[in-house]
Amino acid sequence: MKRATKVLASLTLAGAMTAGLSTGALASTRVPTAAKITLTGKATGVKLSLMFGSSGPAETAAVKAAAAAWSKATHNQVNVIPASNFTQQLDEAFAGGTPPDVFYLGSQQVETFAKQGELLPYASLVAPPKAFYPALVKAYTVNHTWYCVPKDFSNLALEINTTMWKAAGLGAYPTTWSQLAADAKALTKNGVAGLDVGNTLDRLGAFFAENGGSYMNAQRTKFTFNSPQNVQALDFVQSLAKQGILQFPPQQSAGWAGEAFGLGKAAMATEGNWIIGAMKSSYPSIKWVAVPMPAGPSGKRGTLTFTNCWGIPSASKNSRAAVSFVKYLSSYQQQLRFANAFGVLPSRIAAATAYAKQNPSVAAFVAGTPYAMAPVPTVGFSTVQSQFDTQVVNLATGGANPRTMLDQLQTNAEALLRP
Amino acid sequence: MTTLPGPDPDLLAGTAAGARRSRRHRLGRRLVGRGRGNGATAGQNVGGWLFVSPALGILMVFLVVPICLAIYVSFTDWSGVTSPFASTVHGVGFSNYASLLTQPGLSQQLFGTSLRDNLYYVLFVVPLQTALALWLAVVVNNRFLRGRGLFRLAFYFPSVTSSVAITTVFIFLFQGSGAVNKVLRVFGITGPNWLYDSRGIFSVALNNLGVHNPPAWSGHLFLGISLWQWLAGPSFGMCVLIILATWTTSGTFMLLFLAALQGVSPEVEEASEIDGASSWQRFRHVTLPMLRPALVLVLTLGFIGTWQVFDQVTLVGPYNQTTYTPAYLSYYVSFQDNQFGQGAAIAFLLFALIVIVTLIQRRLVKEDLTQ
Repeated sequence: MKRATKVLASLTLAGAMTAGLSTGALASTRVPTAAKITLTGKATGVKLSLMFGSSGPAETAAVKAAAAAWSKATHNQVNVIPASNFTQQLDEAFAGGTPPDVFYLGSQQVETFAKQGELLPYASLVAPPKAFYPALVKAYTVNHTWYCVPKDFSNLALEINTTMWKAAGLGAYPTTWSQLAADAKALTKNGVAGLDVGNTLDRLGAFFAENGGSYMNAQRTKFTFNSPQNVQALDFVQSLAKQGILQFPPQQSAGWAGEAFGLGKAAMATEGNWIIGAMKSSYPSIKWVAVPMPAGPSGKRGTLTFTNCWGIPSASKNSRAAVSFVKYLSSYQQQLRFANAFGVLPSRIAAATAYAKQNPSVAAFVAGTPYAMAPVPTVGFSTVQSQFDTQVVNLATGGANPRTMLDQLQTNAEALLRP
Repeated sequence: MTTLPGPDPDLLAGTAAGARRSRRHRLGRRLVGRGRGNGATAGQNVGGWLFVSPALGILMVFLVVPICLAIYVSFTDWSGVTSPFASTVHGVGFSNYASLLTQPGLSQQLFGTSLRDNLYYVLFVVPLQTALALWLAVVVNNRFLRGRGLFRLAFYFPSVTSSVAITTVFIFLFQGSGAVNKVLRVFGITGPNWLYDSRGIFSVALNNLGVHNPPAWSGHLFLGISLWQWLAGPSFGMCVLIILATWTTSGTFMLLFLAALQGVSPEVEEASEIDGASSWQRFRHVTLPMLRPALVLVLTLGFIGTWQVFDQVTLVGPYNQTTYTPAYLSYYVSFQDNQFGQGAAIAFLLFALIVIVTLIQRRLVKEDLTQ
């Protein structure tokens, strides 16, 4: 429980500040213009600071090891600062005029930082954009300028408890909503819910995407929350929730869906690849498999993705060394090391492909990348989303109406775009 | 015993003249004290300032300057990632305040919700914790109670335990299938999903009584939420926090009452006993009036503290919005949404509210004293 809460905390943290990527289709990406920047400081003999929000000891150790290896090779020093309350500490460091030279940054915040002129658009100095997944590059592009190098990402997939699956006598894994509903129904018995889904837009949004819905239009100029596709998707979720075959974590006294899944209270869950580490360390006895999220009635596949980038502040006095450090951190080899250490997916296409080949268990998570949808990047959306998330659990009792919830979400989100 | 300062006999008698007289006495003493200070030499004055200068310096750096800065920020669109005086920060006039008070929208709705939640928290916690603290103090002050020290320690214990630890324990206890609901099930009651149930307890009670459709007049909006929602009562999640706060803070206030009770001379109580007062009459007409200063202090501290509740809400809050308070909302919009101007505006509105509530309370207490 403790561990799971921690994982959840780090996830919410990651979700809240990462809230990355663009929304809508990921394929079309305009190649951003390379910004002209001047690097400052020396290449060696420099002391850098790196601030990050860690998901746990594994990540902290991996980042520290990487920093030590780079310092040794380049004769620099790195002060690694794992932040306990990352967003707050980062804001404080910037407001106080002493930002860390390198830090984790989610694209929801990229907009805030970039618009204030606080972010160094160094990305194209590290690698050409085509080395990374286009959606990730787009996520860190503000006003046609590619600011920072995507660090890694995580996608949602459908996790299935294979022991329960066999006991229920089920065959092939679900690829459509109707199969998902039927399988979940068959798996619901003896106090076990067929499917557990986190009670937040950051999980339910996957159903929108599967039904051809979206958060925003492709140009990110308009919200599309109350589209018929989204209403239909949330109606589907509610119909399962009302029957009790889909349950939300609080209904099962779980901190997050992965906990309900790990404790055997749910036969299926929709979580990201972070669940791999949690299952390994907290619930090693559960036998499970991950498959790509099923498609909606339109036959479209869909999932959600969450990501971070390596930020460098424009105020850094040692940006030359910082860029060289990020080059090292986002190299093919180092991305694979991070992936193996704490289960994130490498942002380099080549590294992600190699990682999926070495670890068949992550293949289902990587599979979603071409069509994955990212959280809303708009400044101030966090409060708007939390208003929606609050009502999700009431879908099960019929106390909340999908249409009304999405209309409210649309109205509140539109207010953010008004100048 | 005789060295203890006895209660003012006039005040004890409860006469208006007595109360007025005793107030004049106190005022007089204060004036005399001040006069003595004025008569001191200049050297002593300098010395005095020198002695208080560290405290003044700390107050300036950590209170006065940040408060002035926050006032400034509440009139800007500062995002928190630059210096508040950077060229990218714009003055926005009263728009941060307007979006909370006059412009319909999510900000106003959340602010209204947080005020409602906190109002019910105050209305329940202050009387409950005061009554409980007073009762506990009277119990452990009983000279014939065995193991008094043990009871005093036990009742005070929740107050010295970390509120974060206690809240975490409460979160576990009040889970959907947590210990509380398991106990309720023994009695055939299906408990609510406490922390996630955003329905107000009054509206749930009305629902159970068969009232499903709110009357037309209650649809009127005030601060973004309808009167029906204002009257819905605290959510189940808020009830958990009310229980928690009552339990943890009553120990502290028990101590204040206990100190006051120790000042009550036993002779007075014995005298009233000889005069034929029952134990309730003795408490109501002899002990309680002598506890008035402590009571005023406890109520004032209670009102101020409950309007600022933050840590428990932070721990429960991220799950849902069933327990919103202005203090938490201020933090949330500042640090999660990078809208520090809005956050500062909420903080100042909360400040104004606390000042008004405290002034009203002081006025009421004063009138009560002079009657």
